[in-house]
Amino acid sequence: MGASLRAVRALVLLAGFYLLGVFLLAALVGVDFAVVTWLHGPVAFKIIIVSVVLAVPIVRGLFMLRTPKGEPPAGIPVTEAQEPLLWRTVREIAQQVGTRAPDEIVLIDEVNAAVAEDARMLGLRPGTRRLYLGLPLMTGLDEMQLRAVLAHEMGHYANFDTRLTPLIARGRAQLIRTIGHFHERADNKVAKERARQEKRDEKRVAKGKGAKGVDTSGQGATYRAMAKIYMAYGNFYMRATRTAGRRQELAADLASVRVAGRDSAASALREINALDSAHDFYMSSYATLGVGAGLLPRPGEVFGGLRKLLDARSEDLDDLRRDLSTEPASPYDSHPPLAERVARIEALPDDGRGGQAARPALELLSDAGAALAALEQVVLTPEALALKRVDWEDLVHQSMTQYVGQGAEEIREAFAAEGAGPGLPALLDAIDADPAVRWRIADRFPKSEEAAAATGRTAREFARPAVRRALNQLVTVELTGRGAARWQLSWSDSAALSYPADGFEEELRLALDAAVADLPDTEPLRKLVLAP
Amino acid sequence: MIGLYILGAMLLFGAFKVLRGVYYIRKAKRLEAEVAALEGRTVASDGRTAAAKAEKKAQQAAAVVALGFVPEAELDTDNARPVPAGRKAALDAVRAGDWEAGAAYVEACGTDWEERWQRVRALAEVAAEDDAWLLAWRAARPADPTAALVNADTSVAVAWNVRGSLTAEHTTREQFRIFHELLVKAQADAHEAQRLAGPADPVPYMIEQPVAQGLGYAHEQYGELWAQITRRDPKVLTAHTSALQYWCAKWRGSHELALAFARESAASGKPGELLSLLPLTAYFEQKVRESDLRSETFFKEPEVVAAVEAALGDLAAADPDDWRTVRLRHLLAYFLFWQDREAEAVEHFRHIDGYIGALPWSYAPRSAYVYARDWTVRKVTPGL
Repeated sequence: MGASLRAVRALVLLAGFYLLGVFLLAALVGVDFAVVTWLHGPVAFKIIIVSVVLAVPIVRGLFMLRTPKGEPPAGIPVTEAQEPLLWRTVREIAQQVGTRAPDEIVLIDEVNAAVAEDARMLGLRPGTRRLYLGLPLMTGLDEMQLRAVLAHEMGHYANFDTRLTPLIARGRAQLIRTIGHFHERADNKVAKERARQEKRDEKRVAKGKGAKGVDTSGQGATYRAMAKIYMAYGNFYMRATRTAGRRQELAADLASVRVAGRDSAASALREINALDSAHDFYMSSYATLGVGAGLLPRPGEVFGGLRKLLDARSEDLDDLRRDLSTEPASPYDSHPPLAERVARIEALPDDGRGGQAARPALELLSDAGAALAALEQVVLTPEALALKRVDWEDLVHQSMTQYVGQGAEEIREAFAAEGAGPGLPALLDAIDADPAVRWRIADRFPKSEEAAAATGRTAREFARPAVRRALNQLVTVELTGRGAARWQLSWSDSAALSYPADGFEEELRLALDAAVADLPDTEPLRKLVLAP
Repeated sequence: MIGLYILGAMLLFGAFKVLRGVYYIRKAKRLEAEVAALEGRTVASDGRTAAAKAEKKAQQAAAVVALGFVPEAELDTDNARPVPAGRKAALDAVRAGDWEAGAAYVEACGTDWEERWQRVRALAEVAAEDDAWLLAWRAARPADPTAALVNADTSVAVAWNVRGSLTAEHTTREQFRIFHELLVKAQADAHEAQRLAGPADPVPYMIEQPVAQGLGYAHEQYGELWAQITRRDPKVLTAHTSALQYWCAKWRGSHELALAFARESAASGKPGELLSLLPLTAYFEQKVRESDLRSETFFKEPEVVAAVEAALGDLAAADPDDWRTVRLRHLLAYFLFWQDREAEAVEHFRHIDGYIGALPWSYAPRSAYVYARDWTVRKVTPGL
């Protein structure tokens, strides 16, 4: 089958998607017409109502297919005057790939680059083309790798096989999104029904009646039924165009090889695999670490700190660069599994561009720091922007101190309830006076089933680590409060407490052991922590 | 007009459908009622059969009990033999806080290492529940080797209490973590007991055996521990059975290693020293571990029969008052039962009856024991 023939078939299949909706509607109208003609009274009325209910998702389906656009990602548009080098690079790539350069470039906060187009007339006429370019993505790649990624994205819109290729690309994207929308709606409906039933159960329990339990099996059934019909068609469509889809991905990958060189194209794919996880981890464990304590890193660092993490954990990330997924990202995704794509690229003959030096991708920006800072203003919520900005070191120390302090509050309450406390000295006095107070305190902490069932000395062995942890936490609060210990930021490991002197940690370990021993000795702990 | 005909035809068709539906529903209901009645009858007859079976079983069990055997409900699953009188008194005394009575009880057995181990273990089991008296003992006599022994064995017992007796997948990470920490502590306690002990006493090293099992000593390291024990006394029965556990497939060895160790032990013992217990234990552990082995044939293998013959000879040569013969009799009763040698087996059942806290019953105490015993008794008693 020739290229144009394949394209025409894809176009017909896409048109079939609309036809399916129209056909289903026509069938319903036909039924209604028959009912009105042959039946009268309430039965006919009921059947018509049912048919209207069934028609709603179909009409919606058609409607959704026409406008599947989601919210565009928030970002900062940059003009050619602001970022001449970036624009020149993008234009170069577009030219090399053989497609129209984007009309706008928007910098976003994701590990992603995407080209989107406001299609008009079902995508038959080109609209505004936008390049969404993630700063975290640029942070992790060098220039040649970034070129490879951009070449792949623009390659989808390139005019290699036929003039209709962009239309197929758009059609496929729309189809995937439509099925996704159906499922989303069905799920939403189930979630709503679940929430309603759970509320009802809560009320019943509050009134002293038994809960009925939650059953959402019938919910969202019409949506799911419609989704099934569309999915069946979608599967058919995908099967019919799979070879074309894969060809296109291959073409896009080849475009990136042509633009950036074989090794950069392959390493970019490996890097993105590692970058995705690293970025998620960075955002949850570093950038937002201080949020609970009302702190954010300095402007530009919320997204900019990622570079420090990547440098420090380079070896950890090697695993992610090496072990690529052999599963496709989704059943409707036309992308072959990452491992297969990389293997295919690396199997190409050496183009001699392996050793090319490349600067970090962020250097394509006239002022990366300013861009990272500007992005925060657009992406972060007003609440987040109102947080106090501090240096990384202070952020880690202050927020960890606050979190440990909050945790220690509960411990103090448990101690106080047994008449031991509130401070560490009073607690140690209480232990000296009555060693068994420690096991009573442990009874106030949450316990595992096994710990709760244990008796005698076995119960004590379950309690001992819990008491030791609690004591350690109070010691930490005491030491950080006096400025004797400090939470230390580490880009390669979790935050750790740095103690006043070498060997202090080992001494503290022994002192804690002595304080929770069967015959307790609180002296070492007093000397170590409470001595002036 | 045509419309009316069609409408009439449709109505007739509809009426037919409705009437047919009603007919089928009624039929289904009638059939369901019949099925329910039949099911009821089946359940009743099953119940009658089960009741008859249970009654017959109860009669059979009662007949065995009438011959002087202990009823199933009254079997002691904690002890392999009646608790010696002196032990109960000593344990009651320490529970009341009198640790000196405990100390005197252990020291009274002198250099009978087997007995010393038994007495230390009994005290440790009490201490695992409540150790106030042990702490007092240790505080009063910090260098007392016996106190250090009881302390170390208590650490071992508590570690195993935390671990529980369930398989790994039913044991939580918290349990494993604390188990491991406690074993490390028990190891240190055992080493302390070894430091304080008299030079001839192998018991502090025997206490390290379960620690070695739990911490997974390498074969070489275990060999060193074993050498420490055998250098002091090469023939302590419990030291051998404990080491056999280490060499079993379920811990750090294999069937081959376990059997090799057991045969070596048996060969090193003179008749009457009861080390012939070990091959029987090794075969039993293999049978438990390998579910595809059939008791009916496995226990009749020539090498197993030979091991039983050797054990019978060993037992005949042993001092009849030696309580350790009971351990051998438990296994012999079981092996002879599976070898269809009921006439010989029943003699051992008579000896051990009432106390079944021993191998081979420990895996399913009452049912396994009563099944084997009652079968044997019925076989040798005419008219039962």
